Amino acid sequence: MNVDEMDLVSQLKDADPLRPEAYQRARATLRAAMAESGPAPVTEFPRARWRRRTVGTWGKVGIGAGVAAAAAVAVVLAATPATRPAAPTGSASAQAPGVTSPLMILAAHITADSGPLPGNASLIIKTQTIGGQRPDVVYSLYTDSGALYAGDDKATLMKAVARHQNLADGMDSRDVKVALYAAAGNLTTARKQMAIVSPGDFWLGLTGSAQRAAWDKEIAKEWPTLKAKGMKTPPKLPTGQALQTIINNRVWNNSVEALSAGGGNPQVRAGVLRLLSTIPQVAVAKSTTGGQATLTLKAGSALFGGSGGEVLTISAKTGMPIKDTEPAQGNVPSSVSTYKVTRVTLATIASGRF
Amino acid sequence: MTSDAELIGRSLAGDGEAFMEVISRHEGAVGAYLARRAGREAAEDLLGDVWVAAFESRRTYDRSYAQARPWLYGVALNRLRHYWRSRPAEDLVPDVTSLANGWDPWPAVDARVDTHAVLRAALARLRSPEREVLTLVAWEDLTVADAARVLAMPAGTARRLLHQARMALRDAPEVAELLTDLNSVKESQ
Repeated sequence: MNVDEMDLVSQLKDADPLRPEAYQRARATLRAAMAESGPAPVTEFPRARWRRRTVGTWGKVGIGAGVAAAAAVAVVLAATPATRPAAPTGSASAQAPGVTSPLMILAAHITADSGPLPGNASLIIKTQTIGGQRPDVVYSLYTDSGALYAGDDKATLMKAVARHQNLADGMDSRDVKVALYAAAGNLTTARKQMAIVSPGDFWLGLTGSAQRAAWDKEIAKEWPTLKAKGMKTPPKLPTGQALQTIINNRVWNNSVEALSAGGGNPQVRAGVLRLLSTIPQVAVAKSTTGGQATLTLKAGSALFGGSGGEVLTISAKTGMPIKDTEPAQGNVPSSVSTYKVTRVTLATIASGRF
Repeated sequence: MTSDAELIGRSLAGDGEAFMEVISRHEGAVGAYLARRAGREAAEDLLGDVWVAAFESRRTYDRSYAQARPWLYGVALNRLRHYWRSRPAEDLVPDVTSLANGWDPWPAVDARVDTHAVLRAALARLRSPEREVLTLVAWEDLTVADAARVLAMPAGTARRLLHQARMALRDAPEVAELLTDLNSVKESQ
């Protein structure tokens, strides 16, 4: 009997099996969720560690989010000379942005200029090109009430809306809420909240003995996995510069996520810009993109454990995200994403008039 | 044996262990499903999320279906979509090109041909819905009707997508060449 294309595809079926402890951990996660469901909203359950958006060395180490990822980067940072003086404390307190910081100035301008928000949702069309290959287009619709619908094109987005296929998991709305607060709120508080958007990063919001106890507890849980990955001794709680870098990394990641999810709202943009202005590893320069005035925010490798980087381009007038670039690193190809952000209504999307 | 649908019904009535029983029946299959699409590391991170999402949405389960596995694959696919959307670019490439690990290319194939890479590249070029239907049938041993249930689409649509996927693979010059090589090796034996 001849081999056909289905036989060939079947040959790719094998994958490394999950380790037994992974099944146990997943069941424990479920049991915890079940225990917490009851009268309390299930969505309040702190979900299992899930890497939301980590970059550079963090990803390469190949460990999930939260303490384990921090442990990995802490080891890298320990071997990397600090490029800046160590921060005096391990808290998420704000780095003082200069009063003339272009991001703070733009944030103030956006806040002053913003009127009533049109529509009831933001449509973000993201086109991502990886390694020069065929671009991948994603239509994401973030409603003001917190729902998220996604599709590959207009038709699939319309279907997702019609079928109420809400993909929101709470984290999308959480980082947007923090950005909204940051637009006019206390920046130290906002940084602290943005750093802990991912449940696995809760320990970054603690201080002193409580932080140490949380770290030790999480490391004890993760140790079998870390050991299997070649770590010789349990990592110590990051302090000083290493801790500040982790906090800044989270503030960058989650703020950029908030911008891509809630960029249709000027208050979200203002909050994100204020938060990004507190990160010392971010350099801001004036630029021109497609004939329009832009600001280029370059997050250096210091923010990602010593390698990698990210360049975010935003409109110099509105703060709208325009482009996000990550350079190639070794065998990891470059990535260029462009954004088109518009305010819409759900009815407009449902009827296909967009 | 009590059906998955009955167990989910009991779970809705407050019997937590009934839902754990559903999970224990399908965790191996769902874990493998995740690993094939995202790699072991990510699969281990995502599995707990899948169970929680399934538990939270069990009210929507259509209990006219006795077996819950296609539904669980559907929940897992939602989590994967979320995961893929939120991953940095550097991690997205392996999603497409390292769909599975560990296959030892058939020794009969010319050693210069990287069979693995050829197939992965051909799969990567399929449209996402085509690839999903194809891999659900080829890897998870689902019927086309069950694959349609996973993807929340009519069975006829899934059949069309599977047909398109197979044609696209067959028409890809490098896959056609591979099939010719393999079949001529078989014939010569």
